[in-house]
Amino acid sequence: MKLLIVEDQPKTGHYLRQGLTEAGFNTELVADGSTGQQLALSGDYALLILDVMLPGRDGWQILQAVRSAGLDTPVLFLTARDAVEDRVYGLELGADDYLVKPFAFSELLARVRSLLRRGSSTHQETSLQLADLRLDLIRRRVERGGQRIDLTAKEFALLEMLLRRQGEVLPKSLIASQVWDMNFDSDTNVIEVAIRRLRLKIDDEFPNKLIHTVRGMGYVLEERQC
Amino acid sequence: MRRLSLSARLALLFAACTAVVSLFAGLLFSRASEAHFIELDQQLLEDKLIGLRRALPDIQSSQRDARLADELSRQADLSLRISGSDGRRWYDSSSNLPQTLPHQPGLSTVSHDGTDYRVLNAPLYPDTPDSPQLSLLLDITHHQHFLQRMQHLIWLTVGLSALATALLGAWAARSGLRPLRRMSAVASGVSAQSLNARLPEEDMPPELAEMAHHFNAMLGRLDSFQRLSAFSADIAHELRTPLSNLLTHTQVTLTRPRPLEDYRETLHSNLEELQWMAQLVNDMLYLAKADHGLLMPKREPLELAEEVDLLLEFFAPLAEDARVTLSRDGDARLQGDRNMLRRALSNLLDNALRFTPAGGEVRVRINDQAKSLSLSVENSGEGIPADLLPRLFDRFYRADPARHEGSSEHAGLGLAITQSIVRAHGGQIRCESENGWTRFVIELPKGE
Repeated sequence: MKLLIVEDQPKTGHYLRQGLTEAGFNTELVADGSTGQQLALSGDYALLILDVMLPGRDGWQILQAVRSAGLDTPVLFLTARDAVEDRVYGLELGADDYLVKPFAFSELLARVRSLLRRGSSTHQETSLQLADLRLDLIRRRVERGGQRIDLTAKEFALLEMLLRRQGEVLPKSLIASQVWDMNFDSDTNVIEVAIRRLRLKIDDEFPNKLIHTVRGMGYVLEERQC
Repeated sequence: MRRLSLSARLALLFAACTAVVSLFAGLLFSRASEAHFIELDQQLLEDKLIGLRRALPDIQSSQRDARLADELSRQADLSLRISGSDGRRWYDSSSNLPQTLPHQPGLSTVSHDGTDYRVLNAPLYPDTPDSPQLSLLLDITHHQHFLQRMQHLIWLTVGLSALATALLGAWAARSGLRPLRRMSAVASGVSAQSLNARLPEEDMPPELAEMAHHFNAMLGRLDSFQRLSAFSADIAHELRTPLSNLLTHTQVTLTRPRPLEDYRETLHSNLEELQWMAQLVNDMLYLAKADHGLLMPKREPLELAEEVDLLLEFFAPLAEDARVTLSRDGDARLQGDRNMLRRALSNLLDNALRFTPAGGEVRVRINDQAKSLSLSVENSGEGIPADLLPRLFDRFYRADPARHEGSSEHAGLGLAITQSIVRAHGGQIRCESENGWTRFVIELPKGE
């Protein structure tokens, strides 16, 4: 799966590529708009990450060229201009998502994964599982080590999200957006508390902890060997 | 050149106006009295003429002089000259009559030897072609004196009234311009430290009320400039602590080789500081956008009860943890921006939850009115002192001074952001605190 980053700031571009490469993506970086557009039009990429302000051709122009060539490659915009018009404009042109600088890399990674997943066919799962934790999607039941665990609706949704995206670091903002549909910047610690309460039910009685905090980045559900 | 003061200018204008008006009236009066005198003189002379004609049926009569003297004796200021049609003088009632008199028939005025005469020329026998000419002369010196005195009086009046109005006008202008002086006193009292001085707009005269209004508005803008510069100082202050943490921590970590775990720890700690700074910068950008009127809410039809319930569900874990009860009451429909309003309310709820003691209560009430609606978020607990209420919406203001800057999750911008969002929707927000309840009330117009 190949990603194209068009970003003219060398440091930002470098770290984006390093981060995405280490997250397992085959990533290519170009610094100018014209080259970026040529590559984007080749149709070899699963996702485009475009800066808005670029030398040569700007992000909007690349997006337009891609869409008018009939390509439906998902496009994620990086913009420093936090103006409403920018967002409206970008989304009208057919951008799939946008991030406003400064953004957290974990946020970018989570969104990249969401966009890539969107395209792939999702077969209907009936249950999700990690180690001895099992979530029954049809009967809305959770078990760990054969022991039934009672969860509230939101706790269930939260655990489902963690399970579906196990191994991924999920930033708090993404969790708030996906589980509670709260799409705004907030410095509230609701998510922390919600995770703590979920941990209490899922992890506390078991030696093998599954929910982990990645300081300053978010939460991840995975099995770690101690 | 220094221009005349406004009062002096007004006083001079008043004086000039009075002078012109009184001069005009005086001239009119003197002209009218002169005309009146002429009319009287003419009447008198014509009466005399009739008498003379009757007294002198025949000019050649021997009793002519006696009759004439008799006729004239009754009026001391009257003189008579009779001359033939050839211009020869036949009779003069007095020796010091002017040598030449106007020839045209009718009334005229002649001056001779310091005496003024009104002269009436007429033929003695109007029906005869070669009739001798009568010239009746009336001494009108006393009339002229009267008119002259009156002219003096007029000039005096003009001068005095101009002087009087100049003085009165100066006084009137000074007292009329008192609001202006008050304005300048307020303006001179304004300094960078006292931008909250305002002019009383309601007891200003209408001409100045508008100016006072603009003046106050200007002071308001200056005040906001000052707050803006204080805001910049606050930003620098807020960023200083995390920045110095970052610098110190990074430098200390790099002073000597360490186990890998230490580097990881440093980076994590740095990440937290950075994240806090990023959040701060994003909030500041949001507020800056609001300040520039760029916060443009979408107009989506919203069910407020539904929105509030979703938010209460979101905050439920936090509330349960703090053992605080959340409740909602009422409903209303509104055109507004879902995400912005959620953010505004979430700040209020977050704030309320932080200040509610365990076992307390947070209530959201929606009050639907005809054209507007009010939404209040109230929490039980220790109230907020009245003098702090207006400051709650100030940027970086924290109600609990114990929380020192930089170290907390909350930068103190939440309520300011809520206020910006409410204002962008055309609404108002206020806070009241009494009887152990603190209440934030949002008033919003419903839109169409």
